[in-house]
Amino acid sequence: MIDLQGYGPSLLEGAWVTVQLAVLAQLLAIALGLLTATAKMSRSTPLRWLATLYTTIIRGVPDIVLMLLLFFGGQIGINMVTDWLYDSYDIDVFVNVDEFTAGVVTIGFIFGAYMGETFRGAFMAVDAGQIEAGRAYGMNDWKVFKRIRFPLMMRHALPGLGNNWMVLLKTTALVSVIGLVDMVRVASEAAKATHEPFTFLLPVAAGYLLIATVSEWGLARLKKRYNAGFGEASAWNN
Amino acid sequence: MTMRSSVAESPSSDALPLEVRNITKSFGTNQVLKGLSLQARKGDVITLIGASGSGKSTFLRCMNLLEQPDGGDIFVHGEQIGFKESRRGREPMDWRQVERMRARLSMVFQGFNLWSHMTLLENVIEAPIHVLGKPKKEAIAHARSLLDRVGLLERADYYPAQMSGGQQQRGAIARALAMEPEVMLFDEPTSALDPELVGDVLKVMRDLAEEGRTMVVVTHEMSFARDVSSQVVYLHQGLVEEAGKPEDVLGNPQSERLKQFLAPKY
Repeated sequence: MIDLQGYGPSLLEGAWVTVQLAVLAQLLAIALGLLTATAKMSRSTPLRWLATLYTTIIRGVPDIVLMLLLFFGGQIGINMVTDWLYDSYDIDVFVNVDEFTAGVVTIGFIFGAYMGETFRGAFMAVDAGQIEAGRAYGMNDWKVFKRIRFPLMMRHALPGLGNNWMVLLKTTALVSVIGLVDMVRVASEAAKATHEPFTFLLPVAAGYLLIATVSEWGLARLKKRYNAGFGEASAWNN
Repeated sequence: MTMRSSVAESPSSDALPLEVRNITKSFGTNQVLKGLSLQARKGDVITLIGASGSGKSTFLRCMNLLEQPDGGDIFVHGEQIGFKESRRGREPMDWRQVERMRARLSMVFQGFNLWSHMTLLENVIEAPIHVLGKPKKEAIAHARSLLDRVGLLERADYYPAQMSGGQQQRGAIARALAMEPEVMLFDEPTSALDPELVGDVLKVMRDLAEEGRTMVVVTHEMSFARDVSSQVVYLHQGLVEEAGKPEDVLGNPQSERLKQFLAPKY
């Protein structure tokens, strides 16, 4: 048995931070992805441009650069706004973005762009006749979305979403650069202090693998749910 | 026409279930409907026939605004659909009115268009629950009796992909009936079916006609048009070429074009 030399509880806490960070960032990415896909498919030219600008920038700049930019730049931007509010209107607000919120927002923002492309392709794969049937039976746009377009789209989006989630999970390791104490940060500090890198990095690797394995199980359940009605013979099943 | 529905003719029990006047529609520079009108009285079965490209399906799809007509008026049970001019062209003034109206005109599609992620029973109860606000228990009981009627009760828990085309189309008719519609619109309901499956679907439609349902049917099935309909409308290039009782239009066609259309093809 590996002797964690008293770092065990900290590592567990770090793992819990990783899980929370990944789940919240993924939820934000899904919301942003749906918005982006909708904007890209909308009739409004400015909305389409805005969405394209977003996905182009995010997908073309390294994650770590974006993270530093958003974390430091975001805090500077907020400070500028609060200073301006104080100078102009004598309104005194203090907003300090903590590392956890910054991590969730940054990672969610990055992966929202990828999810946007996944969702857009999936929406386009939905049979137009079934959407038309919803309209023909008196559903408004929201009901058509909720009852028909979204569940049918999810079948096509899940393979991409699953991939995205796995990459996102591992990208959370980058938050240690903005000072958030996740699983990786705890391990690297412990490794430095004890000069025993493997003692701490191997359990961290196992931790990620465990989260990934549990995710696979959850994704398989989601696939089963959204694949209802498409038969065992479907090429999409694996 | 920009009259508000509230000041239009007020609905009454003897109002026509469906009336459309002078519908026009172009796709680009191609005018496909050149002013078509139709009146469906209660219990009427009106069949629209004509060659491909004559505009019959587009005309039907204008009736429930799946296509936006460029001009003309639509009345459902006497209530007029309001239109306004916008930058994108003519569009409905109030989409909620359109949704209300659509819920009273059930459509049966050529490609069935059952929702593939729902079982047959779920397909049939979907709109009654989520559009009409029917209680679930009641909707299920009604759906089961309708599925029994079209011979599919034992398929209630099957998904569309697990059924034949003929079964899917009968299921789609049950879905349409579940709305207790004012008028049923059929868009070439048997055109996508294998020949041996057409009969079952036509039989269900014949039964509906006999019980006095108001129906507008786009079809290539001349025997259905002849035996079942109260009125046949022959369209050619976006205009009504001949219309009237089936024995007149189909039995004694006047125009050369209709004679040719009805002549045996081989």
